[in-house]
Amino acid sequence: MQEMLKEYDVIIIGGGITGAGTARDCALRGLKVLLIERRDIADGATGRNHGLLHSGARYAVKDGESARECIVENRILRRIAPHCIEDTQGLFITLPEDEETGYGLDYQKKFIEACRTAGIEAEAMDPREAIRWEPSVNPRLIGAVKVPDGSVDPFKLCAANVLDARLHGADILTYTEVLSLVKEDDTVRGVRVRDSRTGETAEYHARVTVNAAGIWGQAIVQMAGARIAMFPAKGALLVFAHRVNNVVINRCRKSADGDILVPGDTVTVIGTTSTKIPFEACDDLHVTPDEVELLLREGSQLCPALASTRILRAYAGVRPLVASDDDPTGRSISRGIVCLDHATRDGIEGFVTITGGKLMTYRLMAEMATDTVCAKLGVAVPCATATTPLPRTIERDFPAGSPDGMLVCECENVTLGEIRSAVARFDIHSLADLRRRTRIGMGTCQGTYCIRKAAAALAEAQGRPADAERLAREYLDERWKGMMPVGWGDTLREMEFMQKVFKAGAPSTFK
Amino acid sequence: MKFDVIIIGAGSAGMRVASALQKAGRKTAVIGLGRSINEVEVRPYERLGGTLLIGDSVREGLFEGNRLTAVHTVNLGAYPLKADRFVIATGKFLGGGIVADMDRVYEPLFGLDVAYDEDRGGWFDASFGAPQRFLRFGVRTDAQSRPSMGGRTVENLYACGELLEGISAVDGREEIEKSADKVLAILTQADHAEA
Amino acid sequence: MQKRNISPNNFEQCVKCAICTDFCPVLKVLPDYPGPKHAGPDGERLRLKNALFFDSNLKYCLNCKRCEVVCPSGVRIADIIHSARDRYGDIHPSLRDRMLANTDAMGSLATPFAPVVNGTLGLGVTKSVMDGVLKIDHRRTFPKYTGRKFTSWFRREAASLQDAYFRQVSYFHGCYVNYNYPQLGKDFVRVMNALGYGVQLLDKEKCCGVAMMSGGMFDAARRNARINLASVASAAKEGRVTLTTSSTCTLTMREEYPGVLGIDNEMVREDILLAVRFIYEAIEKGEAKVAFRPDFKARAAYHVPCHQEKLGWGLFTRALMELIPGMELVPLDSNCCGIAGTYGFKKENYERSQQIGQALFDDIARVGPDYVICECETCKWQIEMSTGVEVRNPISVLAEALDLPATAALNQRTNFALKEVQS
Repeated sequence: MQEMLKEYDVIIIGGGITGAGTARDCALRGLKVLLIERRDIADGATGRNHGLLHSGARYAVKDGESARECIVENRILRRIAPHCIEDTQGLFITLPEDEETGYGLDYQKKFIEACRTAGIEAEAMDPREAIRWEPSVNPRLIGAVKVPDGSVDPFKLCAANVLDARLHGADILTYTEVLSLVKEDDTVRGVRVRDSRTGETAEYHARVTVNAAGIWGQAIVQMAGARIAMFPAKGALLVFAHRVNNVVINRCRKSADGDILVPGDTVTVIGTTSTKIPFEACDDLHVTPDEVELLLREGSQLCPALASTRILRAYAGVRPLVASDDDPTGRSISRGIVCLDHATRDGIEGFVTITGGKLMTYRLMAEMATDTVCAKLGVAVPCATATTPLPRTIERDFPAGSPDGMLVCECENVTLGEIRSAVARFDIHSLADLRRRTRIGMGTCQGTYCIRKAAAALAEAQGRPADAERLAREYLDERWKGMMPVGWGDTLREMEFMQKVFKAGAPSTFK
Repeated sequence: MKFDVIIIGAGSAGMRVASALQKAGRKTAVIGLGRSINEVEVRPYERLGGTLLIGDSVREGLFEGNRLTAVHTVNLGAYPLKADRFVIATGKFLGGGIVADMDRVYEPLFGLDVAYDEDRGGWFDASFGAPQRFLRFGVRTDAQSRPSMGGRTVENLYACGELLEGISAVDGREEIEKSADKVLAILTQADHAEA
Repeated sequence: MQKRNISPNNFEQCVKCAICTDFCPVLKVLPDYPGPKHAGPDGERLRLKNALFFDSNLKYCLNCKRCEVVCPSGVRIADIIHSARDRYGDIHPSLRDRMLANTDAMGSLATPFAPVVNGTLGLGVTKSVMDGVLKIDHRRTFPKYTGRKFTSWFRREAASLQDAYFRQVSYFHGCYVNYNYPQLGKDFVRVMNALGYGVQLLDKEKCCGVAMMSGGMFDAARRNARINLASVASAAKEGRVTLTTSSTCTLTMREEYPGVLGIDNEMVREDILLAVRFIYEAIEKGEAKVAFRPDFKARAAYHVPCHQEKLGWGLFTRALMELIPGMELVPLDSNCCGIAGTYGFKKENYERSQQIGQALFDDIARVGPDYVICECETCKWQIEMSTGVEVRNPISVLAEALDLPATAALNQRTNFALKEVQS
């Protein structure tokens, strides 16, 4: 076992969007940063949501503050990360049956007013015009409101933050698990970690440690000797095989299951459900038949075509819901941002927890966490993340016909050059990591067609050509789990084909 | 047009039966929705004079009692293709031999009886490499390889290949050939009996 | 933008088995072509995300439909590709495309001066002009324009005799019969008359539109489609089925009007039939009787044109030809001849067109037939130019093989002899 010791200004635990954003903010303010992630960046809740660029309209009636936060961040993200965002705009629709539940056109008026109070442009739209604008919308609608929703690629956004942090001097360690916090008396001095591939352990010290580990942050707080009450809530989503709608479609009523339909890149995503789950379940989430049925039923209300559209897969994420302090029952759960300085809260120095919140407000969360860190370190550099553009994550322009321009994934149009660029810029150990950077294998065939080629390309780029078969197998296991809950129709045909290609010998086209 | 035997399905099992029968002097036709992804060679069959309808599929069967007398295809519209006997070898889910909806599995051409697990819970093993139960689903036949509709055996229809319950290409290439050869033997015997 | 967000075709049934790629004749000779899988279902999905994924190389698709025939998932791959050219391709057809596409207009302009045009088309200088200005390959022998259109012949020589028959059909002759090869139309009329059917022209017939679609002029094709469907419908109302002698016109009107042009033809689709199919069915049902010439003898190879293969009706031609005593019919292996309508006429496609056809040319050489039987006029040009072997439409073969007066007598329902059309 090899021991290493390095000194940093700040260590950030968690390579999701919050940790990545915090690492970037800290690095931009000149701090010496170490970001630690136990698996791959954007592997947890960050990559397991809708990818909705909220306008804030969804929260306007019930939670004006969240709504305001959203619209402000919405505008900021459009400026700093245009390459991660699609300006689709959004619709909130009212169906005839909503009149009976008190969410009819009277509610729509209230909704528009609340949006405007929060600073969100919301405009009532004639239902016929809404159908012309978004032909996939349920034609039975009796009301529609247009809002500045959009979609965001969370993988790309997270990777761009990590990359920019590194460009500003941050060290990034993925596949590195925090074993314990290094404590001296009541001060957190750093972390003890283990490289999950080599088993090597190491210790890193910093003046401040930031816990940005999402739902897994509850355990980190415990390591520090404090307590926080978190409530893991599973949210299940379905990915449809192509882009069914071009505009985000929401239901104009109290938030419920399966009432947001988001077009993102080549697909459409419906979500989500909300089920409290035990902590043990957070690392092994399964989507149940009931959840699939519910999402399909509700989704078809927004867009009837979904009932007959091929479903690529199902997936689920965990929302890190945090109870307001001193309430262990979870009755007063907040969906807002929770930034805890454990010095004032628990008398533990050098330790900050940033949690709650959502993908939409990650930058604001990062700013709050970084402000807290800077205050502790006596650094007075102001936050610049609201105005500094994020970099592109990988090179994408490779001319057709050149070796790098060779298409590997034909569903998602991923070239060999993109794979090489991703391997050069990011710590990539599996095809799933590569997928999060390039979209490889995310398309219709879920990798059946290209995964051998992709595995060979990755193994070669890593200098371990013998690894290709193992990489492909691991990836297939991961894809398989997402397809199982929706295994019927063309998806089941694809599953049989997948089995054949990898077990009974592929047709010659694949070799 | 009347044939001795019409084979529905142009995969390895269907073409095996069709080529052998055509070679033995029977007038046969093969109806197949596209080429089999297993790259089954069809030229020898065509050069033997067999009638190959590739890119076509059966729309419905015409029955007299428990006998199938003719089929209608998508391309031929109202024109029926008649035969004394029929072989069905349309594969599993991929080939379209059986179809899974969210709540049932069925054989789409004639509504033949299909054996499958009603509880979806057991269809898949979470490990991709493990045996998968859904690949065992298929049409159930009697000892003479004849499937049934609503429990009643279709007297002149024979099933083989992956369409059958229990046989999967993933591990059953030999099983597929054996099932085709069995149908072939039954058809040849039946011809002798009639002669 | 939203018009582009809806795909009417079933691209999602594609499981990415890529067998279409294996069978694509273009991909074999043009590696830059994305191939049917990527141009079709993959591309459709990407184009729904962003129209910029439209690849102008899609124009190299021959529309031979072989991808659709081999697809085990029943995906309408070629329709997807051609609809995409319609919806996304800001194609600006060149003068050459317009000239080749407007077969009606070009035929109408050329016919009155046929000797001049034909002479001109045969001249080296004109060929060079076509090569240089219009980019029609100079190695092509251009189909000859006839001096007298089929329709003119029909009106003068045949029309007045048709009402005497107790049953009637309509004839969609197509541009080829009208302008280039009226003999086939005459053969058709004689055969049908002998079988006891009077032949009527449609109220209004326009080019089926296939060449316009190939040239990117989809709206013009739509106009023609509407006129043709209305004519077929009015014939059907009077109890006449519409027969054709070209597999391509047939496929276009039956399949591509809805599949590519988005025009519903459900009401009249089954009223459009290839004459070979109609005749075979009539004979099989005993509605028409045939007497063949005892001295007929031929060894012919049957080439199933791509569009006939897609229609799936090759079995009718085969069965009909096999009814002829003295006919030795050898089916050729399934291959594309490479011309694909006007595709092979374009300069940029010439070499490819010949390469694609090579397997077929070799197969014809292997068989060594007296002539090749084929329902497609452009296959005829290509095969005759490339192999020197004559190509005949099955209807013309029938016209030669039938003892027409004897056949007419068998199908006669009047007590006086009907006058035979002179051709």
